[in-house]
Amino acid sequence: MNSMTIIKISAMWCPACIIMNKFWNEIEEEFPYIEFISYDLDMDEEEVKKYNVGNTLPVIIMIKNNKETNRLIGEKTKAEIMRFIKEIDT
Amino acid sequence: MIYLDYSATTPVNPEVLESFSKAALNYPGNPNSLHKLGVKANELIAAATLQIANILELKSNEIIYTSGASESNNLAIKGICYKYKNRGKHIITTRFEHSSIYGPISYLQKDQFEVDFLETDEFGLVDLEKLEQLIRDDTILVSIASVNSEIGIRQPIEEIAKIVKKHPKCFFHVDMTQSIGKEKISLREVDLASFSAHKFFGLKGIGVLVKKEKIALEPIIHGGKSTTVFRSGTPALPLIVSLSKALRLATDEIEKKYDYVKKINSYLKENLSRYEKVRINSNEYCIPHILNISIIGCKPETIQHTLEEYDIYISTQTACSSKSNFSKAVLALTNNEEIASSSVRISLSHLTTIKECEEFLKAFSSCYERLTKLR
Repeated sequence: MNSMTIIKISAMWCPACIIMNKFWNEIEEEFPYIEFISYDLDMDEEEVKKYNVGNTLPVIIMIKNNKETNRLIGEKTKAEIMRFIKEIDT
Repeated sequence: MIYLDYSATTPVNPEVLESFSKAALNYPGNPNSLHKLGVKANELIAAATLQIANILELKSNEIIYTSGASESNNLAIKGICYKYKNRGKHIITTRFEHSSIYGPISYLQKDQFEVDFLETDEFGLVDLEKLEQLIRDDTILVSIASVNSEIGIRQPIEEIAKIVKKHPKCFFHVDMTQSIGKEKISLREVDLASFSAHKFFGLKGIGVLVKKEKIALEPIIHGGKSTTVFRSGTPALPLIVSLSKALRLATDEIEKKYDYVKKINSYLKENLSRYEKVRINSNEYCIPHILNISIIGCKPETIQHTLEEYDIYISTQTACSSKSNFSKAVLALTNNEEIASSSVRISLSHLTTIKECEEFLKAFSSCYERLTKLR
């Protein structure tokens, strides 16, 4: 099986991030074989630097076999994220 | 220099600075000390606190001194949520809050607190019916700013309070940082309110959390009683005295000053709206002290730096989220990324002169030509 990682970059001051935090645990539970990593834009500066984050948060980055395959930017619903992961994960 | 960033901070009033210096020099004692110097210092704090309480129509014991509005917001949110978590873990807020509201709320999410955002209409005003529907049995806090700091949207605080009051287990916190000292406010129906002195010509480093008498609060800085049990630390006597002075001066003739700011806001708005690529984001429900505009296609920092060449100072957005260069509040209001990614805030005070406005408009015209030609 291909290894897959999902990185979420958010910030404490970001309302869209607060909204998405509400269901993020459920997303993680739905895909137990995916590694989920969460970074805070301000607290994890060194790590975040690697991902060239633009103006909009949160940023969800899919990494398959150590390569970024896709990213989602800005506020998304649970359904949108689920669909996105399922598409990549086929 | 033309300073048009009064909502970020204000220059200290020399009379306020003088009261700070006098208190610092003449009252060296620790207000918590039991000797004569301590008692004298404590008496001065009591007098300053009483003056603040009288202006805001409160009791002295309803005033908690903090380091500023960010701490007040943190203390209100964490303090209520930790104290009353047995009643429930649900919080309601809006998309027009300061980062010092979102910060503690994010923090509490890690402790299984649940957050809902109240919907707003096309003017950015909260939907009162939706608020009624959102409040649950386990809702313990509604936190809404009286005035949004980026666009200036003024929320119907008294009407919101009436709805929250129907739910005795729920408290209402208002971030009043952008309204105290600018317009007449009432704290009668509010449970908690935050503000800081440097927004009304006071000094940086002092703020207040108003907390009504019968409400309990879990402190975030523990260490025993200071001026109150809710925030430990040696009372900042000179800053407290200076805050009291700043509040008195700011509320003096407040309506006259408000009307003047309204006049200059209209003058600027009328002139700026003539430009084809300018969008006025502040609407009729906004406080006149804040005028948020966009120059479509121009980056906020480019507008800011171009005006800076003319020694004019405006703001790109609330400084606390400087890593992201577009306005979350303007995006929430307009739902238009082009407008949100080109917005700047011009903020005014009663010190802004007509001559400054004229000079600003002249410089703006040159900047506009330069910036729109660049594209």
